[in-house]
Amino acid sequence: MGKYIMGNEAIAAGALEAGVAFVTGYPGTPATEIVEECLRGEDVYVEWSVNEKIAIEMAMGASLCNLRALAVMKHNGTNFAADFIMHMNFTGVRGGLVLVSADDPGANSSQNEEDTRILLHTYGHLPIFDPATPAEAREMIKEAFVLSEETGSCYVLRPVMRICHSRSIVQLLGQSKLERIPEFIDDRSRFVMSAVSEPLAGGKMRPLWRHALLNQKQKKFAEYAEKSCFNSIEVGEGRIGFVGCGIGYSYIKEAESILQQKFPLLKLGTLPLPEQKVLSFFKGLDKVVVFEEIEPVVASLLRNICNKKGLALEILGRDEFLPGEGELTAEEVIHAATRLGLAKRPTAVKTSAVKAPVRTRTQCVGCSHRGLLSALKQVSRRNKAIVTGDIGCYDAGSFPPIELQSTIFCMGSSIPMASGITKTGIERPVVAVIGDSTFFHNGLLGLVNAAYNQSNITVVLCDNRTTAMTGFQPHAGSGEDIQGGSAPVLSPEKIGEALGVKTKIINPYLLDETKEALDKAIKEEGVSLVISRAPCYLLNARKGGQPHFKRREVKMVAERCNGCKICINDLGCPALYYVGEEKKVAIDLNSCVHCGLCADICKRGALIV
Amino acid sequence: MKMDLIICGVGGQGNLLASVAIANYAMRKGLNVIGTETIGAAQRGGSVVSHLRISEQRIYSPTVPAGTADFILGFELVEALRHIDRLKPEGCYIVNSETVPTVLCSMGLDRYPTTEAILQELRQRSARGYLINASEKARELGGAIMTNIVLLGALSRVIPFIDKEDLADVLTGILPPKVLEINLEALEAGYNMVA
Repeated sequence: MGKYIMGNEAIAAGALEAGVAFVTGYPGTPATEIVEECLRGEDVYVEWSVNEKIAIEMAMGASLCNLRALAVMKHNGTNFAADFIMHMNFTGVRGGLVLVSADDPGANSSQNEEDTRILLHTYGHLPIFDPATPAEAREMIKEAFVLSEETGSCYVLRPVMRICHSRSIVQLLGQSKLERIPEFIDDRSRFVMSAVSEPLAGGKMRPLWRHALLNQKQKKFAEYAEKSCFNSIEVGEGRIGFVGCGIGYSYIKEAESILQQKFPLLKLGTLPLPEQKVLSFFKGLDKVVVFEEIEPVVASLLRNICNKKGLALEILGRDEFLPGEGELTAEEVIHAATRLGLAKRPTAVKTSAVKAPVRTRTQCVGCSHRGLLSALKQVSRRNKAIVTGDIGCYDAGSFPPIELQSTIFCMGSSIPMASGITKTGIERPVVAVIGDSTFFHNGLLGLVNAAYNQSNITVVLCDNRTTAMTGFQPHAGSGEDIQGGSAPVLSPEKIGEALGVKTKIINPYLLDETKEALDKAIKEEGVSLVISRAPCYLLNARKGGQPHFKRREVKMVAERCNGCKICINDLGCPALYYVGEEKKVAIDLNSCVHCGLCADICKRGALIV
Repeated sequence: MKMDLIICGVGGQGNLLASVAIANYAMRKGLNVIGTETIGAAQRGGSVVSHLRISEQRIYSPTVPAGTADFILGFELVEALRHIDRLKPEGCYIVNSETVPTVLCSMGLDRYPTTEAILQELRQRSARGYLINASEKARELGGAIMTNIVLLGALSRVIPFIDKEDLADVLTGILPPKVLEINLEALEAGYNMVA
């Protein structure tokens, strides 16, 4: 009997079955659990690297020593790792190297929505597997390790969120151990990427020669794609064909079962495409609709094939016919089929007349960022400061009711953007808000740049000692490694000191002290670093630790409350809510954890301890 | 046999455990199961929805298409409203009557609909449904944390293929032994809350 497991667990299981010996990654939804699940393997080196570029570089180190290595990241991380990838594609690899680059169509847990097939295949010329189901993802990653060694190239698995975060019954085999002894063989013409003349290539410049070798490999990749069991044709009625790439195939099959119809169907799971298979599918068809997440990558490649072969086939895809953004669904397939006259339009499901209010992201009850964000909001307002933001739980401070940070881009951008703003000569103080894991990821270099170029900014480090938003993964400042063993605690204050930055550590549950420290830092010349330090409340509570605040039972004296909502607007605490009929605030005692901050905020003495 | 279920609530309400329990139950019966969750980025307090699909046949899409779900289990009123368009007209909903206010509603930037307005919308989708105060029942029995088990008990009564005793057996394998007895009481209580 199989196990009911998450797609990420199936992917990890596949890697272990393939004999992976080295696993690296940086937490990022939807990919995080793949790394954690690899801890089940015996004698497998697993680490949280400080960022994705380092993760793929670490994995390449292992590959150079002939071990099978896996680097795991979400699409934003793949962007960050791109510089290394654009060299590693030229050099190729030694031990099997697989990169998992998880995409998030619909951006359910991401700052943007993008299709890393473009970066990795169209741009990086790496071969890709795009799974239709978690069980297929497991098979694909096993195949990827084998092909990586046969071709000497990194292979990519690109699961989308609905693969990573779906659960299904998967039959698992055990871990296989390859018992390889790490061995490093020098090969400078390959692994020294430099603009030198290459004797092996008759004096051609080395990057040019390696580029040509990468181009030659494409033929190999295509040959494998042609034979691959992940690409197949299913016969059906009519002259309009459907192409299902990755999970797009699953949605077409769902639509077929709802409509009780069978379309001519080409299932695609690889890049490059199997050109011969594509051509044989095209026979007898006038039109083809391509269902792929997220961009029209395969649709464009199919058009190229048509152009090359002089075929008059019309290829419809996500550039015009289908939505150019968001997640595919079975409904979308049915909608397309009705527009093409292939199916009768089903009765549309009407949307609700009553609007469901949104649940905006906010800090959890008891969160250590709440006091900090509230204090910083008040101090920033008073000083007319501009606040730049970064990625992490504290970024919810940019939404109502706090509305503090004015920018959020990508990992680490808060500090350089703050420096950029202040260097224009604008006469307003500028503050960057960044978390600890993000600081070690790529915030540190921004701080180095700010110190070197003598920026006049305040950096507020929300130091809760964990990567909370992705599910509490430890990082370089946590004092813990991925196995739960002890690790050195890298000290941001010592880093600040080394950079000549004025550093102050505060307890964010003490509002007055926090406001005073922030005000002083904002008024100070040069770079100031304020470290707001308290462990993540949720994680700490789960571990059975004492909270970082003095527990204070807050009581509501209803007759003193005038409904001014300052407590709600300055804290955004989910345990405080407004009772419209009474025009008063109330405490939800089921969720209140007695941090006491609301009593400090209330000026009327209605919330008291 | 084919059954599509939507379980929706607010982060921290134990929605995932309910979905895993039913999935394990279906597996025991030799059925295929596919599930997926949309959890956003928040640890607590955000909207959470699980799709669960059970069938004798092969299942393809992890998500339940709009207007086709057989059951909706709502841990919270507004969350049930948010996903009620998934329910088919002959479907059935079970919704916890306790509400979790939203921050924007408290700020006056958004409006939390009245229970009556939400119920009217739910009733328009399907004639079959139950509104039960599962949270209150859970608190009576020892803690709001068991709201999910009370709801699961109610669901086990309306889903024809679920046998309560077998479901209790599945929960025995999932829940920590320390709290098992009281949770089985919660399951029974939930079962008795729907007719």
